[in-house]
Amino acid sequence: MWVLAFVCTSGLCAAAPKPGAKPDRKGEIAQLAIVLDGGDDEAAAKAAATLGESADPAAHEALLDGLAFGLRAPVATEALTALAKHPAPPDVSSLKRYSTHHNPTVRSSALTALSLYPDPVAHAAVVQGLHDPAGVVRGAAANAAAKAHVREAIEPLFALLARGEESAARALAAMADADLVRKLGDQLGKVPDASLALCLGLVLRRPDFGPDAERVEVVRAIGKITDQAAVNALTDYLDATPKNPPRQSRAEAEKMVEARLGGGAK
Amino acid sequence: MKPRRHLVLVLVLASLLASCGGPVFHLTSPDNDQTALTAALSRRQLPEQPAPLNTARTPRVFVLAAGGGGGKAKQLIAYDLQRGAILWKQDADVQSRIWVGGNFIVELEGKQLVARDQQTGAVKWQTDVPGEFIGATADGERAYVAYKANASTWWLAGYDGASGKQLWKADADGVLGAPMAHGGIVYAPYNQQWLSLIDGATGKIAARIRGIDEGISMLRVTSRVAYYGSKQGVFRLDAKSASGKRADSSYVQLVVPPQLDKTTYGRDTYDPIQNAYTAADRSRILYAAPAEGMQLDAYAVHYFRFVFGFDHSGTLVWAYSNPRVELVASEDTGAAIVAISQTGDLVALDPANGAVRLDQNILTGAGAGLVLGATFDADGWSPPAQGEKTETVAALVSIARDHDARFDRVKELAVQALAKLPGGEVTQELLGVLADKRAPQHLKDVVVDLLVARKDPASLSVLTAQLAAHDDFLLQTEPLALGPVAKAIAGLGGAKLDPAALSAALVALQSHLDAPTTQVADLVFVIDAMAAIGGGKERPALGSHLLLYHADDDLGSDPAWDKAIVLALENHGGPGERELLRQVAADPRTKPSLVAIIRDALAND
Repeated sequence: MWVLAFVCTSGLCAAAPKPGAKPDRKGEIAQLAIVLDGGDDEAAAKAAATLGESADPAAHEALLDGLAFGLRAPVATEALTALAKHPAPPDVSSLKRYSTHHNPTVRSSALTALSLYPDPVAHAAVVQGLHDPAGVVRGAAANAAAKAHVREAIEPLFALLARGEESAARALAAMADADLVRKLGDQLGKVPDASLALCLGLVLRRPDFGPDAERVEVVRAIGKITDQAAVNALTDYLDATPKNPPRQSRAEAEKMVEARLGGGAK
Repeated sequence: MKPRRHLVLVLVLASLLASCGGPVFHLTSPDNDQTALTAALSRRQLPEQPAPLNTARTPRVFVLAAGGGGGKAKQLIAYDLQRGAILWKQDADVQSRIWVGGNFIVELEGKQLVARDQQTGAVKWQTDVPGEFIGATADGERAYVAYKANASTWWLAGYDGASGKQLWKADADGVLGAPMAHGGIVYAPYNQQWLSLIDGATGKIAARIRGIDEGISMLRVTSRVAYYGSKQGVFRLDAKSASGKRADSSYVQLVVPPQLDKTTYGRDTYDPIQNAYTAADRSRILYAAPAEGMQLDAYAVHYFRFVFGFDHSGTLVWAYSNPRVELVASEDTGAAIVAISQTGDLVALDPANGAVRLDQNILTGAGAGLVLGATFDADGWSPPAQGEKTETVAALVSIARDHDARFDRVKELAVQALAKLPGGEVTQELLGVLADKRAPQHLKDVVVDLLVARKDPASLSVLTAQLAAHDDFLLQTEPLALGPVAKAIAGLGGAKLDPAALSAALVALQSHLDAPTTQVADLVFVIDAMAAIGGGKERPALGSHLLLYHADDDLGSDPAWDKAIVLALENHGGPGERELLRQVAADPRTKPSLVAIIRDALAND
């Protein structure tokens, strides 16, 4: 019913259906497809969103068709997001095509969408996005890499971390396991202290990261960072974790903070 | 006054002038008398074969070098080219170039003309120049000096080479240029238009040439041939010179590229500055006449650090680039192009192909400073050829990549010559110029035009390799000359291309077509290139590209992009592509400018 309502408010409905009448889903989708390909960007974007909400394969096809014939940037952004709501393998080539669009917002949307596809082509596109000249696109690619746990992205993410990119720190933190934490610790002196502290701090705060022995390693790695950001990361960890039950990682973090701050007990 | 009475008066005046001992050089001497000229020329004592002038007939170079530091005086150095050894060196405050005689040399030190023994460098004699020095010269027996006595009188004087005794002197009522001696005859330029041939033993005029359609301001003498002329062209001095005209003389105007401007056929005899070694000695046309006439098979141009060889049509066929420092003096001996650099490196080049037959430093251990200039006495000499390689490509590349801004125009010449050579290696070098951040933009523009005009199928893989670089934040790379490279590839449209190279090129081009940051200015060339060489394989990619951006506010509204993509699909596509264009034109979102171009393109469908 809401699809129909949208179409009607968009002026695309010749006559309102009779109350209680069974909605003509195919007709609605066809109408939305027409709007999607129309000249009104706002209506087309809404049509894309509406199509994305539908689980009907025809809606998905309509989105793919619209993307194939070429959508204007604001519409494409919505359509890419909508497409990924019901991921299907054929989507990848369409998303990849838009992942190198001239418009950075479109690229970002495509990369975000690609994170939902466990496909080597999708992963390769995400990795390529990390090389993008536009920071916003690199950020989207980093988020996508983290979300999809793209292992091939780790090396370029380290390279971005070395350039102080916060999105890379966040992505690596999200992807980190014990082995990756060790590699991150080895980056001391090779990447900006603040970025490394942020990254390790975020690892520490991940509820799924553990056991505590591994968190201790993270705390110790942070402890080697002289930048104030290290203290901030440890303080954030202390703030985010209860004193009880006692954790060695918390205790070590507390000691380090006290030592750095000159004895002020937390 | 009646004509007969006028004639009589002229004759009387002429007679009076002659009887009262007027100047030797004056306007009314007989000109262009072929009999007199032939006789004068036949009196020259010239070697049967080209040979050095010195009595020993040993090839030599006489070098003037700055002191070796610590305020030392200049040094005169005589070098035996045959043996490859210094004959002698002497401290001397030489103010002029060096002129070579039989067993002596002469040069100017202060106001003194100084003759030195050619075997030892010791001073043989010296004499005052009693006026403003105009020039000097020497032959086997004598030295000659031209000087200006006062505002209206010039003198040419002959001196015995052994003793320095003045043998004669002849005055002139007009400007004398620097003379040149040649086997007992002295050539004395006069008033920019005449060349007098003086008997070196007596000072008497033996003949006189008047240039009718070209002035005479340049003189050059080798052991057997004398040349005269101006910046415009060069005459060989022979019996035909009596005509005074270019058309009836042994005369040539050599083609010199405009980039090598200010080069001359020889020194300007009226420029007193050129009595010393100057920059004029570093931009010289080098030539050697055949047995008769002036039909040259080849010639060269010395231009500061560079020497370029040309064939008879003026096509550049070889090049030599001297490392780092300029060549300060050069000579065509007829058998080799010889030159010496500021640092004393002596080079000898094969005149036919520029191969380096000799490259050695003659000042090693001499304790001398920079070479200021040199005079070669080496006519007919060449080091033996030993199958040396020609390094023209390397030389041209070296010139093109040179960062000395003084030679920007020479670099153009180098890249133009390079572009005429086939092969991927040359294309690679041209691309190197484009990638050089210090290369002047104008040179890059020239290279782009040359790459486009080159149409060398063998270069496709090199051009494709150039497309490997993309705008990449992590790798810190960006495309290098993407538009020009694509343009050059487009120039290969219609050529027979290696299929593998073609496929690789299309892949590379498509990577830029799809790249997010390819600028429109480059994109249109990428599209053109894909259409030009694709042979249909490019259609899907171009069609997809059109669809992706047909409604885009930036690309879709760009007239250059509109035109490029529509023409690529319309001209190189089939029915499917035309149908695609029709659909795009019918799409209400398509930008109006794009619709208009599509409709124009499909107007005849």
